[in-house]
Amino acid sequence: MFLKQYLIPRLIQYVLVIFLGITAVFFIPRLLPNDPVLRTIAEMRARGSYLEPGAMDKIIADLQQMYGLEGTLFDQYLAFWGRLFRGDLGVSFFQFPTPVLDLIMTALPWTTGLLLTTTLLSWALGNLIGGFAGYYANRRWSRALDTVAMVVRPLPYYIFAFALLLLFAYLLRWFPVSGGARLGMRPSWTWTFVQSVLWHSVLPALSIFILSAAVWFQTMKLVVQNINAESFVAYAKLSGVREHRIVSRYVIRNALLPQITGLGLSLGLIFSGALITEIVYSYPGLGTLLYNAIVNGDYNLIMGITIFSIVAITTSVLIVDLIYPFFDPRIRYR
Amino acid sequence: MRRTRLLLTGLLLVVSLIIAACGGGPAAPAATPAGSATTPAAPAPAGGTDATLTEFGDLPRHETLIVDILTGRVGSPDDFNNWVGWKWRDRGMQNLANEPLWSVDFATGKIIPGLAEGDPVYNADFTALTIPLRKGVTWHDGQPFTAADVVFTVETLMKHEGFGDNSFFVENVKSVSAVDDHTVAFELNAPNSRFHTRFLDRWGCTWIMPKHIWESVEDPVTFKFNPFIGTGPYKLHSFDPSGFWTIWEKRADWDKSPTGMMYGEPKPKYVIFRYFANEGAKILAQLTHQVDVVNVSSDGLKAVLTQCDSCRAYQLNWPYVVNNDPAQTGITFNTARAPYDNRDVRWALLLAIDIAEYMGIAVDGTGALSPVHIPSLSNYPKDFIQPMLPWLEEFTLDLGNGETFKPFDRNASQRIAEYARSRGYAVPDDPAEQAKLFGYGWYKYAPDVAEKLLVKNGFTKTSDGKWLLPDGTPWKIRCLTGTQLATGMGERNCVAAVQQWKRFGIDAEVYSSEAAASLNATGDFDVSSNWPAQEPWGAGPDLYRVLDYYNSAYVKPVGENTSGHPSRWSSPEMDATIEKLRQTDPTNYQAVVDVGIEGLKIAVREMPGIPTYGYVGFIAWDQTYWTNWPGAENPYTQPYTHWGPFKYMTPFLQPTGTR
Repeated sequence: MFLKQYLIPRLIQYVLVIFLGITAVFFIPRLLPNDPVLRTIAEMRARGSYLEPGAMDKIIADLQQMYGLEGTLFDQYLAFWGRLFRGDLGVSFFQFPTPVLDLIMTALPWTTGLLLTTTLLSWALGNLIGGFAGYYANRRWSRALDTVAMVVRPLPYYIFAFALLLLFAYLLRWFPVSGGARLGMRPSWTWTFVQSVLWHSVLPALSIFILSAAVWFQTMKLVVQNINAESFVAYAKLSGVREHRIVSRYVIRNALLPQITGLGLSLGLIFSGALITEIVYSYPGLGTLLYNAIVNGDYNLIMGITIFSIVAITTSVLIVDLIYPFFDPRIRYR
Repeated sequence: MRRTRLLLTGLLLVVSLIIAACGGGPAAPAATPAGSATTPAAPAPAGGTDATLTEFGDLPRHETLIVDILTGRVGSPDDFNNWVGWKWRDRGMQNLANEPLWSVDFATGKIIPGLAEGDPVYNADFTALTIPLRKGVTWHDGQPFTAADVVFTVETLMKHEGFGDNSFFVENVKSVSAVDDHTVAFELNAPNSRFHTRFLDRWGCTWIMPKHIWESVEDPVTFKFNPFIGTGPYKLHSFDPSGFWTIWEKRADWDKSPTGMMYGEPKPKYVIFRYFANEGAKILAQLTHQVDVVNVSSDGLKAVLTQCDSCRAYQLNWPYVVNNDPAQTGITFNTARAPYDNRDVRWALLLAIDIAEYMGIAVDGTGALSPVHIPSLSNYPKDFIQPMLPWLEEFTLDLGNGETFKPFDRNASQRIAEYARSRGYAVPDDPAEQAKLFGYGWYKYAPDVAEKLLVKNGFTKTSDGKWLLPDGTPWKIRCLTGTQLATGMGERNCVAAVQQWKRFGIDAEVYSSEAAASLNATGDFDVSSNWPAQEPWGAGPDLYRVLDYYNSAYVKPVGENTSGHPSRWSSPEMDATIEKLRQTDPTNYQAVVDVGIEGLKIAVREMPGIPTYGYVGFIAWDQTYWTNWPGAENPYTQPYTHWGPFKYMTPFLQPTGTR
């Protein structure tokens, strides 16, 4: 029953979403007026290269051949799926002939390291504190936290992140102005490198953590306050159920359901990178890689990153769907 | 309750661990390779740990020069094969580690021989040439540089279509051979008096491959050439796999590089090219002495100069900017589309521009005007612009009905000076100094004349002053440009032109697009901020590069790619001039100048694009660690760290001794 009515439809949906998503990602950049070959030539010219106008046709033909842009769109589409099934995302056009997978694998650890930590931490702390603040909504500390969250949450991220940079990197000089690790230091599993990475990631992490935790805090507080007003909670209180049990089993557990869905989506979005964070803190990651790929019409790189993102998001949603019955008995019994 | 406490305690523990790990920053670095201790760049604020102390690791700050990379984060940091695609060559490859045969220095107007020992020697009909090579040069790995390297490079490039220069050499070279260890001979397929310029570094050229490394490579197109081996005075030290920095180290045998032979020992032991993803961080880094040279925006430069006592700009006084960059900015018309296929219309749009206002909007008056299609810098005013002034003053437009108009305005630069004074800037009174700052004149603001030119061609005006095309439909102009509207030199031209044309009664707007390059190439635009002419070399009198841009051989119909020629304008007269220049010996100074002037006159008459001001560069130098920068008061070389001749600046930089 569970398999037929719950699992299989979701698996079909999962595969279909990935297929359609990847197909859309293949075609959409090709509909833009940004031709990667012309863009490459224009960039080379803009950056001082003198390309003989007489030889231009030959250069264009060579680049089209090297980029795999020959043939009809359908030919290219079929070739793309063929490559994808072999685990080959092709080469970056703009960073030719570097394989797309190499570029993604260089950036991915930085992005996932930063975003996974901050997403999980902000989710856990925001919900935990928000849950208690919602249950004890009339306490002074709860109101104070609510005020702080109300002030912090509407701050534009860019301004907030830059303010942290100004305060801690320029005025106090506690943290570096930019980068993911010390200049001259190459990634390695040494304590010195890990320490340097942690030191450089404090400000970017803090900027994401604070704003994100404020959001989780506020939503959790509101949900808890609503559940707290439900009759089953009042009934539990009147029945003499102990308070910690009411909080943990009756209120927070129910309130967590939408938050778990939110966490699933947030985790999936990790693979799109954090563009503004990367720009403010000059942090190496997928965000700027994707941005530059779009600007330069680098189809293969756009597809490579978005394929990761599509698979990550759909997988997160699938996992959330699959584990939901464990949290929500209503689904389990249906 | 106990479970909640446990959870809270666990979370606090994790946070505490992270804070503990990060709190003090990495431990102080060990002794440097040279044995000297790393020392603070700037005094730490009281009570705080100065993060700048540890940012440079093992590199001694007082021996390290740090500059930002102009073209951004390096996309393929482990790939140094610059003969294929774009490899962020300004991260030190072209400017420190490599030596070309010749380099352009736009500040001195000189061609500097690097690997070559002198000028190329052509035969009488330009079908063959020999190039003398410098003796005693070695590659970074100690192998001697010889003519065999040059021959190998050209032959390799001709063998593989994947190389960017493949088609050029296949088209031009019949044979290449080594006459001896230090002489290369070329035989060409057809006369080409400018063949050697393929090896002239003007922000890139064909570089020479070390034969002893490349000859054993199976696929030269995909070969990464890592570690990079060049003949320049610096060799590769390390690079960031994420593309944020590249570090170069002075060769122990720097005297085996052309730089060392010509100018002596480079002073910085290390040079770091560093990327900042946003200008704010770049400025903060300079204010905290973590970067010595930055390329910034106009506002960024003001911020640095206001906040940083140890910083300076190219010019010590207003306008502070680099105003001798060899690029002429302006407006390009798509002459394959009506009504821009009409010379009168193009001239009308020019005369609808009040250049003083335009310059105020575009660059706050900081650029040098040029009335012709080359910038007002280096030797160009002396060779071309000043000799052309009498002709420009007599140049006449036919307005119809027997009426004529002389558009040139020698006082246009004076009007910019007045604008600058009105802004409170200190403008010199000396006309010669003013000409250096603002150029030697431009064109009159004459909307009434513009109106006559348009009426002559069937344009009409509505009662509320809006222009209609000859077919009676409203005239709309979308000025195609890139996305850096606040800072881009091209973009600023569109922003300024649109405001001028709106006031004139045209429904004009800026069309900012990431796809501007592609749209320019395929001709899908009416008016754009593409450079109105190809940039000249920046040194020497040869305008072949500028004029050949208008060659009818490169004109393609709209919809087809013409990356070299977006204006799609040409004329038999210009073709004949280009041909004449091809047959002129490039080393015959006056003959080259004379043909160049002929070509410039045709371009002015036809005005396929409007030349406005020369490219304005905003750079700031921090003098805490290094001084003797090539500022306007002492332009011993070009001032940029991203241009090739940066290596020729390094022997002249002086360490301050600050530690």
